[in-house]
Amino acid sequence: MRVTVDGTELEVGAGATMLEAIRAAGTDVPTLCYDERQAPFGACRVCLVGVEGAPGPLPACTTPCRDGMAIDTQDETSRRVATAIVELVLSELPSAPAPHTELAAVAAKLNVGTPRWPGPTHPVEHDERHPYLAFQHELCISCGRCVRACDEVQGAFALSATGRGFGANIAAGLDSGFLESSCVSCGACADTCPTDAITENTLLQL
Amino acid sequence: MSDERFDSTVSTTCGYCGVGCRLEAHTRDGRVVSISPAHDGPANEGHTCLKGRFAHQFTRSRQRLSTPLIRDPPLRGAGGEGFRKASWEEATALIVSRLGEIKAMHGPDAIAGLASSRATNEDCYAMQRLIRAAIGTNNIDNCSRVCHSPTSFAMRRAFGLSGATGSFSDVDHTDAAILIGANPTEAHPVVGARIKQATLRGMRLVTIDPRRTELADYSVAHLAPRPGTNAAVMLGLCHVVLRDGLTDPEFIAARTEGFDALEELLGAYDPGSVEEITGIPGEQIEQAAHIYGEAENACLFWGLGVTEHRYGSEVVQLICNLAMLTGKVGRRGSALLPLRGQNNVQGSSDMGALPDTYSAYRPVDNEQVAELFEQAWGVPLSRQKGLKINEMFDAAVAGKLKAMWIFGEDVAQTDPNVAHVTHALESLEFLVCQEIFENTTTAFADVILPASAFLEKAGTFTNAERRFQLVAPAIDPPGEAKTDFEIITTLSRALGHEMGWATPAEAMDEIASLTPDYAGVSHERVGRHGLQWPVAADGTDSPILYEHEFSLPGGRGRFAALPYKPPGDAADDEFPLILITGRRLQHYNAGTMTRRTKNIELQDGDWLEINPDDAARLWIETGDQISIRSRVGRIETVARITDRIEPGHVFTAFHFPEVRTNLLVGSSVDVNTGCPEYKVVAVDVRPISEQAARTPALAAH
Repeated sequence: MRVTVDGTELEVGAGATMLEAIRAAGTDVPTLCYDERQAPFGACRVCLVGVEGAPGPLPACTTPCRDGMAIDTQDETSRRVATAIVELVLSELPSAPAPHTELAAVAAKLNVGTPRWPGPTHPVEHDERHPYLAFQHELCISCGRCVRACDEVQGAFALSATGRGFGANIAAGLDSGFLESSCVSCGACADTCPTDAITENTLLQL
Repeated sequence: MSDERFDSTVSTTCGYCGVGCRLEAHTRDGRVVSISPAHDGPANEGHTCLKGRFAHQFTRSRQRLSTPLIRDPPLRGAGGEGFRKASWEEATALIVSRLGEIKAMHGPDAIAGLASSRATNEDCYAMQRLIRAAIGTNNIDNCSRVCHSPTSFAMRRAFGLSGATGSFSDVDHTDAAILIGANPTEAHPVVGARIKQATLRGMRLVTIDPRRTELADYSVAHLAPRPGTNAAVMLGLCHVVLRDGLTDPEFIAARTEGFDALEELLGAYDPGSVEEITGIPGEQIEQAAHIYGEAENACLFWGLGVTEHRYGSEVVQLICNLAMLTGKVGRRGSALLPLRGQNNVQGSSDMGALPDTYSAYRPVDNEQVAELFEQAWGVPLSRQKGLKINEMFDAAVAGKLKAMWIFGEDVAQTDPNVAHVTHALESLEFLVCQEIFENTTTAFADVILPASAFLEKAGTFTNAERRFQLVAPAIDPPGEAKTDFEIITTLSRALGHEMGWATPAEAMDEIASLTPDYAGVSHERVGRHGLQWPVAADGTDSPILYEHEFSLPGGRGRFAALPYKPPGDAADDEFPLILITGRRLQHYNAGTMTRRTKNIELQDGDWLEINPDDAARLWIETGDQISIRSRVGRIETVARITDRIEPGHVFTAFHFPEVRTNLLVGSSVDVNTGCPEYKVVAVDVRPISEQAARTPALAAH
């Protein structure tokens, strides 16, 4: 089928998502909860785009293309909402994300600097008991990528989302740490984490 | 993506198992500080395991060999032996003079070399050229002898080529799979994860293993045969497939030969008879045969639980029978995928580091082939087949083999019948070891050469999918250690044979020019995505083999009518339990590398797995110190009770020199290839305690 991305027409296969069409067209939208190794999740709403005829912005990662669709990655409402989301995410963190993280890259792309909103930030809570893997719980943005990497890529089912609202976070096993869980230490969670909420112990010591 | 934490990022290929994960190695201040999976790696697709990702700190272990070492005092068996540091010049001069003396006195066939399945294709090719051209003998072998040589032998017999017929990605395109004698979620974790994910999407998996492995829990059927009875299982599956009309008669008629003899043989292997031999209920044999036979596409995976047996090579031929009977070979989603143990088990043999073949398995006694290499290397070459690893040790004990050059293999820990290996090493007049750490084998060396790990060298590995993949150095070898390629080419020059290559890429150009199957291979073409051999001169590679015909005369696959025969060892009154050995997730083979990383914090010892029934009978509890005795040796370890193993069987790993599991393994080998029978060892297990018991006790259960 044929779709249009920012005025450029292209052919996409059946079942392709808008994000795949956008990337195939050589352009891009920022994403936070998306990882090409996992099924699309649609949690972060940072990939919102405008679609001709749609009542409002749509998430590019989970929305399938249909024939004749016209996608606008520069849609003003979508960009405004995405920028506000990233600013809200940053406002919950006790410190700015490290420059190498995906979150930092997305914030830079959307020109989000120091968030305007004061208020509580996540308490610093580290768990470095595993020889390789470390939690920095205060950096978790609940994107679910680590949980899905553990389930869909490795199949160890060691991680889960815990808490709700501002207290939402991630836990290994029954929040007993990696060593007491069904973790097989593959590190897929650290690899996909866009904020270093799960990272490698050795990298923390650099 | 630039990353402020790292000085450099190098794309390379993992040096642990045969899956062949493509990795990004990140360095800082001359050390590897992190490794992440390459998203475009064809075998790993952005994933890797705790060995590939984390077990890299061994590269900067203080125990790394960083200078050549020479035995001091030089006399063997003089007592008070140790090693002193030496210069490369001194070590080289000693090797040249001693090998020269031995060759002059006893002839070139008194010298043998072992290439390493851990090293690159270029290293292995250089090593076999050194032994053949600089020394003048075909006494060259590599550690694939002790793992997948039966697979290589059998697949050449049945189909023509020595390698998987497809790729790991076939598991994403298949409806069913049979996994035989392999525990990939521990030993090949990335493939294990891919198989597990496929089962979660609905692929119907059958596991055949005496242990209830993790993937057995994800299987539609788990068949637990008695160790050593795989042949009967495969014959039983073929019997049911044939009896119930699940074959592909068109495929059999058009593309195979030998069906009639097989059909006649299969009559005797009805499910009832197979149950008697294997202990697997007949209905499970029928169920498994129907799962495989009724699937549109199905794959066959197997590991060392198939090959490391007296008739391992025959069982692989029987596996090939099943695929040919049902026409499930030569297309996407229907592949035969042996799980190769080490990173370059495929390549080291492909490169001709074997006593009977040059690169691409061309026989040394073929005049045309020998002349081709004589012309290229400018020296006369022997037409006489050399010694296999096990034959080398026999010859050393018999006094016929005087010198060995062992490169990247700890034979005194990993080969079977350790007492015999030790005797052989002691009997040699001269032993060169080329290693990254001192180990059990180097203790017998006269010269130890400090070599390089996979993160320090350039070249290619060939993974279990026949895929050449680039290896690139992320860091330098420590101290005065050199790359294996430099060591071998320099020593060859000193021995009077100039190889004429400045880089591994030039060696690959020679391999390509002398090997039609690899004609189009070059480092440039291998690139980021690899090439699956055969590779035509124009660079076209072969992800799927045998789409239209088999690589045998006439293009027909060969059925093998081979009956079940009992294994080389059997339980009896004195040794009532059968020991099986295998890998654990956290460690890798001899543990030389993984024991020197924090993986040791995740797993710091071996243990024996024993069924609750046997444990109760023997008064053994989890954590008890136990003795394991076989016909050839005795070791001690601790027990762990688990119902994942059937009564009558016990299991342990072989990663720790303190345990030295291979002391228990005897000299029984595969009838065609000399691969040791690691997987069937009759043992006697009993508890031992630190102190003599003074108090009479009641049974614990």
